[in-house]
Amino acid sequence: MNVKKGNQRLRKRFGDRVRVREEEDRIVVSGRLDSWEDIVEACSMCVCKKGNKHVVNDIVLEGRDPKPMRLPAERDSALEGERPDVLIIGGGISGASIARELTKWKLSVLLVEKEADLAVQASGRNDGEVHPGVDLKKGSLKQHYVLLGNRMYDRVCRELDVPFKRCGQYVGFRGWWNYPLVRLYAWNKKYVCGVKDTQVIGRKRLREKEPQMNPDFQFALYNESAGCVCPYGLTIAYGENAAANGAKISLNTAVLSMEVQDGRIRSVLTNRGRVWPRIVVNAAGTFAEDIAAMAQDRFYSIHPRRGTNSILDKQAAYLTGAIVSFKTVKKEQGHTKGGGILHTVDDNLLVGPNAVETYEKEDFSTEQASIDAVFQKQIQTVGKLSQRDIITYFTGVRAATFEEDFIIEKGRRTKNLIHCAGIQSPGLTTAPAVALYVEQLVVEELGQEREVEKNPRFNPIRKGIPRLRELPKEVRDRLIRENPDYGVIVCRCEEISKGEILDALHSLVPVATVDGIKKRLRPGMGRCQGGFCMPLVAKIISEEEHISLSEVRKAQKGSVITYGRTK
Amino acid sequence: MEAYEVIVIGGGPAGLAAALAAHKAGSRVLVIEREERLGGILKQCIHDGFGLVRFGEKLSGPEYAERFIDEVLELGIDVLTSSFVTELKKTGAGFLVSVVNRHGVTDYQAGALVLATGCRERTARQVLIHGTRPAGIFTAGTAQHFTNLLGQLPTRRCVILGSGDIGLIMARRLTLEGASVLGVYEAKPEPSGLTRNLVQCLEDFDIPLYLSHTVTRVFGEERLTAVEVAQVDERIKPVPGTEHIIECDGLILSVGLIPENEVAGQLGVPMDAAAKGPVCDNRFMTQVPGVFSCGNALHVNDLVDYVSESGEMAGRYAAAYAADGTDSGEHIAFKTDDSFLYLVPQQLRLEDRDKKGVLYFRSRNARRNAVFTMSINGKTAYTRKYGQLKPPEMERLEIDFGKYPIQKGDELRFEIKEVMG
Repeated sequence: MNVKKGNQRLRKRFGDRVRVREEEDRIVVSGRLDSWEDIVEACSMCVCKKGNKHVVNDIVLEGRDPKPMRLPAERDSALEGERPDVLIIGGGISGASIARELTKWKLSVLLVEKEADLAVQASGRNDGEVHPGVDLKKGSLKQHYVLLGNRMYDRVCRELDVPFKRCGQYVGFRGWWNYPLVRLYAWNKKYVCGVKDTQVIGRKRLREKEPQMNPDFQFALYNESAGCVCPYGLTIAYGENAAANGAKISLNTAVLSMEVQDGRIRSVLTNRGRVWPRIVVNAAGTFAEDIAAMAQDRFYSIHPRRGTNSILDKQAAYLTGAIVSFKTVKKEQGHTKGGGILHTVDDNLLVGPNAVETYEKEDFSTEQASIDAVFQKQIQTVGKLSQRDIITYFTGVRAATFEEDFIIEKGRRTKNLIHCAGIQSPGLTTAPAVALYVEQLVVEELGQEREVEKNPRFNPIRKGIPRLRELPKEVRDRLIRENPDYGVIVCRCEEISKGEILDALHSLVPVATVDGIKKRLRPGMGRCQGGFCMPLVAKIISEEEHISLSEVRKAQKGSVITYGRTK
Repeated sequence: MEAYEVIVIGGGPAGLAAALAAHKAGSRVLVIEREERLGGILKQCIHDGFGLVRFGEKLSGPEYAERFIDEVLELGIDVLTSSFVTELKKTGAGFLVSVVNRHGVTDYQAGALVLATGCRERTARQVLIHGTRPAGIFTAGTAQHFTNLLGQLPTRRCVILGSGDIGLIMARRLTLEGASVLGVYEAKPEPSGLTRNLVQCLEDFDIPLYLSHTVTRVFGEERLTAVEVAQVDERIKPVPGTEHIIECDGLILSVGLIPENEVAGQLGVPMDAAAKGPVCDNRFMTQVPGVFSCGNALHVNDLVDYVSESGEMAGRYAAAYAADGTDSGEHIAFKTDDSFLYLVPQQLRLEDRDKKGVLYFRSRNARRNAVFTMSINGKTAYTRKYGQLKPPEMERLEIDFGKYPIQKGDELRFEIKEVMG
């Protein structure tokens, strides 16, 4: 990069408070600023498109102390002295899919996740869209992997027994005068960028397919390969399949520090003991930069970006059967297409997300303003959209780099390390393809020491918990006769039986909490939001785990539901 | 396939009363209840005050339910518990009801259906509470389930949002269990619960009630640690600068009830947006002939006595429908204005214009010296004076339509008017 010009630009905008320097493998921006937005702006100004150096943010945010990473309360030596071939840090979609692909080899794989379940942060808090990649620039890693990943979804979801629907995506446009420009854009996407399913469809066909969309849309960009999946369902499925094939998954386990010697990670300290891995995969989401720093290989920075989604009652699901949004031709601000409306695999609607820069990596709180902003926008996509149909909402935090692209490569200074970082949208879509590439990197690296053999017992098939409500009557009847607990309905909104809950408690990555059950089966995700079933689910957990009701938790340690017997 | 003349869905107070009435009218009846025991939500309402209108006695919820359950069992009415209706379908002769329970999936045939599915509580998300997502946020009914059915204390120190009856009852209940109830916060300028509950549950226990206040935010990562409350303006928007933080480990919500009509939706039963239950005629039959609605599924009642009453009527008429199955389909739709929150039923069957009918309504606003008026073609026909009307208190009245010359095509209009002076 041209450091001199960069510093001139920074000086013009921020005076002498910030400056940039170039190092062998990174671009470092340093100084002091008192607003996070300014820091994001300063770092973004230093992004260099040529070469492969990433921006590292060393600017001090004055007057505010970002909260330290939330750590699990557990302190024990459960993992002390373990020597896995591969240590994967992070149990999101990236870590879980990488773990599963690595079990194809005779390698011991240990995945650590600091939260009480898999997919608690970004992978549990996104819209579940399987992107066609129509909005991505050619040449980016995102674009490369989105095309590969999208194509893999049918097979992966079949193997892992996860519901997946290719519902298609429509982006509406208002004025006819945009038509030539959009046609050109679509042609480019289809023939130059390789998004082969890109089409422009006319008003009449759009009305037939999506009758509730704004009648002012004159035409739409259509991609039939777009789909939707339950993002945490897929992550858990990957994790369970990895576990079935021999990977060890350790929840409530955070990496605290690393011992690095001569450019190699020697050992990794966790809250559950010190482990000695041959190689480490950094799939730590918003904390990937912190892990990179521990490994003395920090050559990129993460600037977290919040987004809030709302879930609407099934009664509103008729508003669209696909993924719909709209676009104006004038350039939009920010790094997201501004959200949309998505018909989920579970037949709810999801509306959002928005995008707000933040320095807090774990602030998942929601604000009414975010929801208002999204609805104000999306009501232009579908006029009948109403906040009255909201049953819940949630906030996720994206792990964006300043280059707004993924970092999937071997460590630059530290050898036995592989980064899978900067994974934001479309990271769910890309995960299956990225996992294959990381698998290749790991096997290559470990193969330099000694040959890595295939695991002949690898079984790619995972059998999920039967979804009784979706089965034909006769099959459901037969299953209930075999296991009468399948006939005891616990959650009335989503029709979940006691048998299914017991299956989840006995699964390969069991999480015996109310949220753990909710994520695996959906009791508490319906319109009553657990009002009726939560005490029943808590009771089943207490009976099955032989603990008292006051020991049953919502999620992590400390999240107790009751305080013991009444008088 | 087993066939019944009347199948009642829901074994709470409405369904039990419907089953008894249908049985006494000569029908073969089946009651389907999704929980393990009959009685519905009354099972967890261990406070008293039930049955004053019906029995002239102060009973607890379980005692009230027991009277009906005993009779159902004595009469040998068929009951399925722990049984969940997954599908309702119209067939040529009546209805197909698919039920899931420990024995499998079973289909039943019914001549008429009574939907007595009760109501559910509005959730924290439906009143747009923001902040983190810790444990410790309960609807009042869920807190009541933990306290009264599972014997577990859901909170030691809590704030209650909403002054609905269950919230008030829980304020007292939790206080008696040793928890501190720091206050009841109500966004509206008037309380939502019954006066007797305000007195017996709050005043008697020195629990403060803050009107025009709401909870604006919750805090805590694992368990709730605090809530932020603020004063609201007349549009229920928080007034900036009035926020303050209250440390607590529980937030109990009593912010309204919603009739549950998801099974009714499967039959395409048209709904009344105001009452949030099916549009019914004076026999409590919905606009799908042969399908009846009653209790809290029809509209949210304030007293269980009226739940039983509508259940009885629905059951009796369902039996009559199952016996002869005719439906002239001719109705006079009641016209109401916005002086009502709602009026139930919404129609009079033309053939019943010489009969007595029961009406339930709630006034939209609190009023003193109001007059309930029925006019026929613009001419006042029936009036009834009320010293006061309040939205939280449902009113019930009986009109003898036979007293008035009602003809096909007439306009029946209902209004609540103020009386001057």
